[in-house]
Amino acid sequence: MTRVLIVDDHAFIRRGIQAILNSSPEFDFCGEADNGIAAIRLSADLQPDIIVMDVSMPGLNGLEATRVIREANPNIKVLLLTLHESGEILRSAFQVGAQGYLMKSETDHELLRALRMLVAEQVYISPKADAHDAASVLREIPASQ
Amino acid sequence: MTGETELQKLSSVPSSKPLRILAADDHDILRRGLKQLLTARSGWEICAEAKTGREAVALAEQHKPDIVVMDVSMPDLNGLEAARRIHKVLPKTGIIMLTLHFSDQLVKDIVDSGARAYVMKSDADRDLVNAVEALANNRTFFTARAADMLLNDFTERNSPVTPQPPSPSRLTSREREIVQLLAEGKSSKEVAVALGISVKTAETHRANIMRKLQLHSVSELVRYAIKNQIIEA
Repeated sequence: MTRVLIVDDHAFIRRGIQAILNSSPEFDFCGEADNGIAAIRLSADLQPDIIVMDVSMPGLNGLEATRVIREANPNIKVLLLTLHESGEILRSAFQVGAQGYLMKSETDHELLRALRMLVAEQVYISPKADAHDAASVLREIPASQ
Repeated sequence: MTGETELQKLSSVPSSKPLRILAADDHDILRRGLKQLLTARSGWEICAEAKTGREAVALAEQHKPDIVVMDVSMPDLNGLEAARRIHKVLPKTGIIMLTLHFSDQLVKDIVDSGARAYVMKSDADRDLVNAVEALANNRTFFTARAADMLLNDFTERNSPVTPQPPSPSRLTSREREIVQLLAEGKSSKEVAVALGISVKTAETHRANIMRKLQLHSVSELVRYAIKNQIIEA
């Protein structure tokens, strides 16, 4: 079972993601954090398989937290969550070492699909992302990511 | 001697009857989260969930919830228009509007729609439960900033001469529906098909909308729709 840590500054978002994880026997909710600093600490303590991380958080944002986590724990995969579609955030997501970029407006099925792709060592980009930006990012991703 | 209902309102002991809530948001993650947040309270249940404004109206008519928690921006029929329709058929149902952004005009539009509470999604953890409790006890819920704005607007409206900017509330229900469809990129023909009306009727509505709102192009209409949160940017 894949262990998932949820990081978002809004409790109701964390609850929503947790409810979606609970609907699938493949995934196990192993913890949550409401800020980037706590995410870094918990990722070291819990060693989740995947972190679902909100980009926009006060203090240390999700991109910076991802960078730190991935440098310290290359085995942990990160699926970044964002509310607004942005080519800049999409590019930054993969530059800091994330394996996935998902928009919060996607369906619950799409969230599960994203997680499954990360488990399968594939990268994931939300279908709602700009196709040109997505193609450009995919060309630049190193094979090791 | 007061009736049972009034006693229940005054008493600190919660009613044995569950509080039935309809949750409407087109984002699955957010809607699931709202459901978890609300059902964590004993005695509150989600009686239905909707992904579009049109679905929210249909489900509200079917389930007759005590409270509707509705996102302002939804496809098909936006939350404001859905709130107007629900309030018209179910005036006793409390409506809480959820929004990503604060704007003075939006607060006015929310009040005009019949909703009695306004919660920003960024503050939902803190405010949504309080808003539901307020409406369940026949009170309104607006943040201090929104309340101040409403009070200032009331004062201005009652001043001798105040020119009124174009407002969605001046449009008919059908016209507001068509504003959304046009702003979503539909042609008059597609609007006609979507609403089951003739193309000529759709074009007549379109002309009336442009005239009432003093708009001169589709791009102006789109900007207007975004500004008034009829569609998302």
